This record gives sequence, C-alpha cells and structure tokens, in this order.
Amino acid sequence: MTDIGIALPKGVSPDSSPASSRVRHMLGRIEYEGYLAGVIVVMAIVLTFTVGSAFWGSTNLSGLLLDVAIDTVPAIGMTLVIVTGGIDVSIGSLVGVVAVVIGLSFEAHLPFVLVLLIGIVVGIGGGLVNGAIVAWGRVPPIIVTLGTLSVFEAITYQLLGGVWISTIPAELTQIVVLDRLGPVPYSFIVAVALVAVFSYIMARRPIGLKIYATGDNPEAARTAGLPIRRIQLFVYALLGGLTAIAALMTVGQSPLVMPTTGQDFELTVIAAAVVGGTNILGGEGKVIGGLLGALLVEMVEDAAILYHVNSFYQQIVLGAMIVAGVAIGVARRRARLGAKAER
Amino acid sequence: MSAAPIAPGRAAAGPAPGGSRAVGALSRLLESRVVVQYGLLPVALVGVLIAGEVLAPGVLSPSNLSSMTRFGVEIGILGFAEMVVIIMGGGGIDLSVASTAATTQVALAVLLRGGVELWLGVAISLAIGLALGALNGFFVIGLGVPALVATIGTYFGYAGLALVIANGVNIADFPASYLTIGQGDVAGIPIEFLFIFIPVAIVLAYVTSRTKFGHEIRLTGTNERAALLSGINVRRLRFSGYVIAGLLAAIVGVVESSRFGTAQPVADSTYLLTAVTIAVLGGVDIFGGEGTILGVALATAVVTILEYSFSLAQINSVIELGSVGVMLIVVVLGQVGLKSLRAYAARRSSA
Repeated sequence: MTDIGIALPKGVSPDSSPASSRVRHMLGRIEYEGYLAGVIVVMAIVLTFTVGSAFWGSTNLSGLLLDVAIDTVPAIGMTLVIVTGGIDVSIGSLVGVVAVVIGLSFEAHLPFVLVLLIGIVVGIGGGLVNGAIVAWGRVPPIIVTLGTLSVFEAITYQLLGGVWISTIPAELTQIVVLDRLGPVPYSFIVAVALVAVFSYIMARRPIGLKIYATGDNPEAARTAGLPIRRIQLFVYALLGGLTAIAALMTVGQSPLVMPTTGQDFELTVIAAAVVGGTNILGGEGKVIGGLLGALLVEMVEDAAILYHVNSFYQQIVLGAMIVAGVAIGVARRRARLGAKAER
Repeated sequence: MSAAPIAPGRAAAGPAPGGSRAVGALSRLLESRVVVQYGLLPVALVGVLIAGEVLAPGVLSPSNLSSMTRFGVEIGILGFAEMVVIIMGGGGIDLSVASTAATTQVALAVLLRGGVELWLGVAISLAIGLALGALNGFFVIGLGVPALVATIGTYFGYAGLALVIANGVNIADFPASYLTIGQGDVAGIPIEFLFIFIPVAIVLAYVTSRTKFGHEIRLTGTNERAALLSGINVRRLRFSGYVIAGLLAAIVGVVESSRFGTAQPVADSTYLLTAVTIAVLGGVDIFGGEGTILGVALATAVVTILEYSFSLAQINSVIELGSVGVMLIVVVLGQVGLKSLRAYAARRSSA
C-alpha cells in the first residue's frame, strides 16, 4: 500500500471521525464477542458436569483444539473477505487442490519445507484467481467461487488420477498433531497467534481500515480513491494462503489425500465467521470472532459426539447457528441504524 | 413466449444521428432483443453441439436426444427455481434447493412405505417443499438475513432433516405405479418431460411474462424503488419467489426419486452449480430484472447436451462439473462485459 497515513478520506464515514469510527467498531462488537464467549463458557461448564472426564481428557481436548485451529486459520481470511462484502465458497475444494499438490510433492521426495511452501503458494494462487475475477470481472463473489469450487474439484481429481496418496511423512503429523504444550497442540497456538496478528492489523494498520471502508460503503470508498480492486485481490489471496495452511494441518491430521479431502469445509469456516459476528452485509466483523465462532461450532460438534447424538442433527444445528448468527448481526445493524436515526 | 423486457433507460439509448455509424450499429446490435434476452446462449448452444459431436460422435441421435430429455428435467426445473428468485433482485438466490429436493423425496418414500396413497403422498411432499421454501422466505424477507447465507444455513438444515427422516439410508420400496413418472415414456418421449417439464415451463412462462405478477417481479428486480413507489408489495413478492422455488425443488425431488426408484437423503451436490449456471446462461441477469423461461429451457438443453456428451465419452463427472463451473464464470463475465459494452455504446452514440 502506498500511503502512510491512516486517516480515511472524508466521505467514508460521514458522521464521525476515523478514530471514533474505529472505536465504534471495537466497542460495537465487544458486547457480541463477550456474549459469544459467555455461551462457550456455559457450554464448557455444562459439558464438565455431564461428561466431564470425557470432555477434559487430553485426547478429546487436543483433538477439539486442533479442529478449532484448522477452522480458525481460514476463518481469519473469510472474515476479511466477508468484511469487504464478499464470500468464498471454494475454499473446501481449494483444500483438496493444496492437499493433492503437497501429497504429490512428498511423493516426489521434495524437501519438507519446500513442500509446505509449494502448498502455500498454490493456495495463494487459487485465492488470486478468485480475487481477480471478483475484482476485475465484477462478477458476484458467490458466482465466482461457486464456479471455481467445481474447477478446483476437477483439478484435484485430475491430479489425483483416481488413487489415494498415503505417503505423507510422519514429520507433518508430528508437527501438526503431536507436538503439544500440555493438551494444546502447537497448531492451535499458531492459529491464536495469527488471530492476534490480524486483529492488530485490522484494528491498527491502514490496510485494516481500508478493508473495513471497502465493505462499509464501497461507493464512498471508491470515490475516496481507495484501491478497491487491489484490496479485494489481497483479501482473497490471503484467504487462499490461510486455506493452504489449513490444508497442511488437515493432511497432518489425517495423512491421506482423497478426492473428498476438504469437502464441505467452506461451510464450517463460513459458519465460524458469521457465528463469530462478522456481518455478511460487509463493513464489520472481527478476526477474534472467527476464533470464537470456530470454538463454538466445534464444541457443538464435540458435544454431539460425547452425548452420542445422531450426527444427522449436527447439520441441522449448524444450519440453525448460521442463520441465527446472521440474523443477530442484521438485527444489531438495524438497531444501530435506528438509534442513529433518532439522534 | 416472452413479454417485452422491462428495462428503464434503455429506450433512451437509441443511436443518435450524430454518432458514428459503426458505434450506432454496435449499439443497435447490443440493444436487439436476442442479445439482450439471451446473451451468449446461441454461442453456447453451437459450441456445445460441436463439442458434443467431437467428444462423442452420434450424440445427437434421436434415441440419445430422447434419453437426454429425461436427464434435463430435474436440472431444468431447478434452473427455473433459481430464475424465479434471482430475477426479483435484492441478491436473491436459493442455495438450498438440492436439500429441499432430498427432504421431499425421502418424506414421500416414508409416507408411501407407511401405506399412504400415492397422490396424497405426492401432494404432502409438494406441500413440504412449499413449507421449506416459505421458511427460506421467512429467513430472507422476515428476518432480513441475506439470501446467500440464509440458504446456506437451510441447505445444511434441510440436508440434516432429510437424513433424520430417512434415518440416513436410501429408501427403495416405491410402488410400481410411482416409477412410471420417472421411467415411463409415451412414443419414446419420457413422461416426466412431457407431463411435468413442459407443463411447468408453460405455466411459469405464462406467469412470469404475461401476468401482472410477472410484470411486478421484473420491475422489482430492475428497480426496487420504482416498484415500491408503484405500490408493489416487494417483500411479499420476494417471499413468494422462495415459496415457488421450494415447490419446484419438491417437484424435482419427486421426479428424481421416481427416476432412480430410490429416495436418497443425501442431497445431490452438483444440482446447485448446474441450476445457477442454467439460469444465468439462459439470460437471467444475476443482478435481477431480466430472464425468460424460454431462455432457461434452452440453456437446460445446452447443459444437458454437454453433460450427456461427457458421460458418453466416459469423462468423469467431476471434470464435467468443472466445465460447468468454467461456463458459469465465463457466462457471467460475458453478461457483465455486455452490459458495460452496452453502456459504452449508448454513451458514444448519444454523445
């Protein structure tokens, strides 16, 4: 980004200075995140009293936290994409592409670190394709990513050639799953660190403000001279890269690359982001919400297993959580707009 | 089959005498009905016919064409469903149709297994489709949840519902009379094409182009404010779009289970992409306002020929779906491109 100052051009938020708009963003969300954290704590307490040892056992806990990490990393990118007013339903099949490419690279005995880098580059590449078509083609993001979803799937299938790849080095599983601090896998720590970094960027860095401005009022942002297209390209590419990290973790978690690897993953990530309070209408959402949303979604799933609930009901609950999460976001925005109108 | 398109502002864009002749001609071409309504459809049709003959010589034989119509019925009707919700604008789309179809077909199977009369079972499962569509409408219109996310949520929800109803397994004990719908034919023409697809298409074509309702949905999709000002109940109209989409998805569920002789609780994940592609290829403007049933029906033919050729040439369905995905992006890019070209030509010729 070329400019150094963080001041938003006039017209982006006509009724408030940039600083106060940022504060409003932060204050406006604290309530919701607090509420979400409360729900998570309550759930944890209920689980403690009902199936305590099964829940807090280190196998269950570290498995849960790894799942949360795998959802959270791309949920950061998804949050940013949704904040700009976009969406990406292709990341599940992008996980497939990355998984196959790293699987093939491992088969070719490329150096370990190089393979990881290749995976991330492929992920960023997939994100760039989405971002470029959204930004320059002016095609609605749902259409673009619905299309690339099937294209990525075809690529995965073509590269895989109908067989499974199982020659994943144990090293990857070691790093992703087995290396832990107590019951907490390093993967989870990485996810939390990424959340911290991007929370800082979104709250304090110019690019963060630009991303919020893009989604808040695209017309105003364009008029004010923000490079909307480059911002869109950036968030989709970032999401692609973060998706690749999730793919690395997925392959480490279950060292087998299949045509179905990553299938429906996008829905969990979108659920994490919107349950985390990111407003699907664009312009607001916090990275930490993605973490909390992922925690809630995975805890519900874990609870369903611990309570031996039929897995069919999980889907219904997940669907309900998505609709409820967004409905709350919309209602909150309406309430705020109403309050503003009264003033 | 189609009424005059309602497109405010376009009438003013006629070529002015001062404009250059080439730009005027370009402008006229872009204004012409065929280009406006059907966009890239003719190009796609010719392309697919050639590709079909190359991939699978003889793909267009009468017997193949007859069995193709069978495969086109389900995706075509889902294309109509997407058309109805997309055309009303406001970001309308229904991503839950495949799950709705899954839910209605397993509900039907369970009812029939329980000894319910065939006609009653079908009627109930269509009613379930209406109800699921109404629930979508409630989330989108009532709660104000953007259609995109509301229907991702219900895609999940209805998929779970289908699994719960069927207890997670396929149900196969349908009475023989029921299987005629999806397996029988009259003079070589599949029954579901003749007695379901064609009537549905005719009714929808009439309703969306010749009635007040059709006029109102187009106006709503083109210019919501104008629609509101002219007294149209935009919310109720959009709500009804989701209800119609739910009903159409239920019809697809019934036809599909009859064709396979099995009710499958797992939604066909390819349906959504195919349905949306068919809708936009058929000339439905993704931003609302434009689209005709004839266009969508022709687009159904394009996609069906493509899919059929691919399967005859024994190309994996994943690859086929990938090409449908490419088609979707290219068509919408083309739509957007045509629009800006039209705007450009109009500016030039009126300058």
